[in-house]
Amino acid sequence: MIKYVIKTLWRHRTRTFLTVSGAAVAMFVFCFVGSVQEGLNRLSNGEDANRSLIVFQENRFCPTSSRLPQDYANQIGKIDGVAEVMPIQVWTNNCRASLDIVVFNGADPEKIQQNRPLQLVEGNWQEFESRRDAAIVGKNVATRRGISRGDQFSIGNISVNVAGIFESNVPAEENLIYTNLNFLQYTQGLDSAGLVTQHEVMLQNNADPDRVAREIDQALRAGPVATTTRRKGAFQASTLADLVDLIGFAHWLGFACVGLVLTLVATTTVMSVEDRMKEYAVLQTIGIRPLRTLRLVLTESTLLCLVGGVAGTGLALLALSLGGFAIGAEGSTIAFRPSFDLLVYGVVVSLGLGVVSGLVPAIQAARVPIVKALNQP
Amino acid sequence: MALVELRNVCKSFTKGDQTITPLDHVDLDIEAGEFVSLMGPSGTGKSTLLNLISGIDRVDEGSISVGGVGVTELSRGKLADWRARNLGYIFQTHNLIPVLTTYENVELPTLLLRLSSAQRRQRVELALEAVGLTDRSNHYPSQLSGGQEQRVGIARAIVAHPQVVVADEPTGSLDTKTSEQIQVLLQRLNQELDITLLMVTHDAEVAAIASRRLLLDEGKFVEQNVDTPLKKS
Repeated sequence: MIKYVIKTLWRHRTRTFLTVSGAAVAMFVFCFVGSVQEGLNRLSNGEDANRSLIVFQENRFCPTSSRLPQDYANQIGKIDGVAEVMPIQVWTNNCRASLDIVVFNGADPEKIQQNRPLQLVEGNWQEFESRRDAAIVGKNVATRRGISRGDQFSIGNISVNVAGIFESNVPAEENLIYTNLNFLQYTQGLDSAGLVTQHEVMLQNNADPDRVAREIDQALRAGPVATTTRRKGAFQASTLADLVDLIGFAHWLGFACVGLVLTLVATTTVMSVEDRMKEYAVLQTIGIRPLRTLRLVLTESTLLCLVGGVAGTGLALLALSLGGFAIGAEGSTIAFRPSFDLLVYGVVVSLGLGVVSGLVPAIQAARVPIVKALNQP
Repeated sequence: MALVELRNVCKSFTKGDQTITPLDHVDLDIEAGEFVSLMGPSGTGKSTLLNLISGIDRVDEGSISVGGVGVTELSRGKLADWRARNLGYIFQTHNLIPVLTTYENVELPTLLLRLSSAQRRQRVELALEAVGLTDRSNHYPSQLSGGQEQRVGIARAIVAHPQVVVADEPTGSLDTKTSEQIQVLLQRLNQELDITLLMVTHDAEVAAIASRRLLLDEGKFVEQNVDTPLKKS
């Protein structure tokens, strides 16, 4: 009987094509929104979100306004539960929300190699360590900006020589450019000799992050600059607070897309079934059970949704993997990445929508008043 | 016991504020292998009777059994199963599925039976051969003439080897020449394949091909002598 369904869809191919296209566009948007949501969830719930802390200047938000003494690292390192401290100078081309944010993180190359899950896909660490103006660039930034190894990349007063391109299993990392700490501190306009934007604190396995954060702020209260220390996840969520609201709103946009697919496919299927009431009456006269008629219509709507949904999801994943999209604010970024979960989610939602959107017309077809329908012209 | 038995069957319709009773406590027996034609003026309930026997409409009172099965007792789903195995329906307007080829239209009822694909193919080929449409098996209904469409409809009705085939004005939408071809075909099916046929028609000439003729008038059956020439109703 699947042949009958496919032939019916093919017979009305313009209608089928338009419905499938509509479903594909809506599922494309749905998956894109889903990837933003996933990116945000990764930032706030990722592996290092609760096992490392960020020490920032108190009451400051944009990285350019946080200026902490670099030697705070020594004091922080003595606090019980701290495994390691990495002073980081951050520079960003835009403190406000942007889709093309460029964020430099200046840190000790050795510490970067030890503490960051980076894998060079082009270039080598030696070159990065030996050249003062060398930088390694995250894959997303490189894709977005068309950067390759050996390029001279300049933005604002910063000009770096690209020593390598890296990828990471933490997608947000791929939106960063790492340089030597000294290089970034002495960049014209930053004037940050001896100062850093933040200290990243790696915790020992058994350390309570909130206790350590309190102790750090307490210990540095007597210093020249007061600090606020938070878990890395909380810090990133806080710096991206405005975006979180927007992403929350975009979430509704995703639901609207689901509603759109539902309405679109349901309308098409209802129209198709109402046009073919006599056909369903003939099928039942021949001996096809009402339940089987119901399944025929459900198969039709599910195929429409599934083909459109899979196409839309596939295109979204392709665009996400090729585009290197990210959104950021105040030095933190959210990476839009394709994922297996997103693929499964897209397919399952399409499948569910296909069944739900076909339910009413399927019941109509199954309960067709046979004699009345047969008497239709 | 007759193959088709109607006992005390009653069926009424409401049209506006009027109640019409086309079938008023009627009884009928049809034996296996019979070819029965049913005539009568418009609105006398001929098609209603076919619909009741087929189980696509429900009686108000009385009972119908076909091959010992109480059709009036079955649920909608079970009736569909029963029709798939035991009843063929020939429509006046052919009612072929437009997206399916001749072969696929005829194959449709066999998909509801427990048959191997080889058995299915054999049955479809035999049915198409019986109606002389083997060479049109890959054509779509839109590529067939009215007479050919009706022959496909007949092949579809007989392919499952049903106990009884009902035909509702099978020549009603055809020209005289094609109508004659269909009449010959129906007679052959009855005589050569021993198919029990119940045919509703307005046309006395068409009714004359049946071995038994019934007239339905004012809710009752009147047996017509096969030797009596029939007038057009």
